[in-house]
Amino acid sequence: MDDYDTIYGSDRGPQITIKEADSRHAQIVLSNCDLAFANALRRIMLAEIPTIAIDIVEIQTNTSVIPDEFLCHRLGMVPLDSTNIDDKLIYTRDCFCDQYCERCSVTLSLHARCTGEDNVTVYARDLVIAEGAQLGSPVINDPEGQGTVICKLRKGQELRLKCIAKKGIAKEHAKWAPTAAVGFEYDPWNKLRHIDYWYEEDAKEEWPKSKYADWEEPPIEGEPFNYDAVPSRFYLDIESAGSLPPDEILQQGIKYLQEKLAAVIETFSNKNETGDGFGDGVRSPGQDYSMGGMGGGGAGYETPYQGGRTPFGGGGFGGATEYGGRLMGGHKCVAAVAMG
Amino acid sequence: MNAPDRFELFLLGDGETKVSMEQDTRQPNAAIFTFNKEDHTLGNLLRATLLHNEHVVFSAYKVPHPLFPKFELRVQTDEETTPKEALLAACQSLIGDLQMLSQKLTREWELNKIARDTS
Repeated sequence: MDDYDTIYGSDRGPQITIKEADSRHAQIVLSNCDLAFANALRRIMLAEIPTIAIDIVEIQTNTSVIPDEFLCHRLGMVPLDSTNIDDKLIYTRDCFCDQYCERCSVTLSLHARCTGEDNVTVYARDLVIAEGAQLGSPVINDPEGQGTVICKLRKGQELRLKCIAKKGIAKEHAKWAPTAAVGFEYDPWNKLRHIDYWYEEDAKEEWPKSKYADWEEPPIEGEPFNYDAVPSRFYLDIESAGSLPPDEILQQGIKYLQEKLAAVIETFSNKNETGDGFGDGVRSPGQDYSMGGMGGGGAGYETPYQGGRTPFGGGGFGGATEYGGRLMGGHKCVAAVAMG
Repeated sequence: MNAPDRFELFLLGDGETKVSMEQDTRQPNAAIFTFNKEDHTLGNLLRATLLHNEHVVFSAYKVPHPLFPKFELRVQTDEETTPKEALLAACQSLIGDLQMLSQKLTREWELNKIARDTS
């Protein structure tokens, strides 16, 4: 089992260099890894890092010109502070409560009314977070300290609503995405010829130089093409949506990728009760995985479909699972009373 | 309407396991792993990592249908190892690599932060 080096020095494995960073974005260089690795990290940062976002809205009064559904969607998109979410909040589907509770949700309320002649603009800062909540306050980054615009009210119009913010991932709904964008680039000089530039007369003249071009050696004129070359330096530009700082997005991305891989190992160690050397059981991804417990492994395993672990409560058919009566998929507006 | 719930993309259904293995009967040391509720993120990563293993003869994955969140990974090895061992070794080496990356990132970020604060 020496196929993978188990002894790692600091210059082994993927390297990371931070080119430019602030509280909202980070430009990093990943090197000494393959394209699949860099791309897996990019994909996981885009879609599978949990954050908190408004999921249910209970509308008491909405006399604004914006319909309830429209307003709910706008509220869902408001970025909420999600730092260290894994220590503070659990998924509603993993919680024992009926619909939502303090362990799995954060309540924000909004009450705004226009009394004067001038129109009033309702901003994200007007969302009042429930007392004692450890996270979920609206992200405010503009110099005026107002946050995103939610809606505008004319004289006599009123908004009164309660929002339930829950933990989720962007695979379920994009409002949970921690990143606004992840830039991804490699081979700025196109030495590998993965790109075929379209041109009128001369591609070199007509195409602008990549901003990462100065970080790599330009190709030498007349150099023979290397057919075996593979990309090994990747330029990532992580742009945070505000809910998480870029370093936490990266760290969480690494963590959830490890968890994915650990789940694969776990499946095999779980169903090996027949005993062929994988008895190490489940280990959290934070630990160092040694190559120790590998061994045995004959052919002909009884394959699964027995004793599968289910994350949501055991038993029950049909609508008996926790999902039965749950409100999911998008922003729900529960009630709209006292209209007009 | 009749669209499946979005969480079905990443939550295993009742009685479903993350990975199942089926031996390829036509060839020795070959197996097809079916990963449930996974996509290209893991598929391509495992495929590429398995190919770094000198005992792996063949490794490729496919997503049979884009509407179903699963992929199939076919692995063939030489006599020295088995597809299952190779897969587990790949997973473990990746976890190790990611752990190192995480440590390097922590260090780099701290250094960068100091540089930013002083300038």
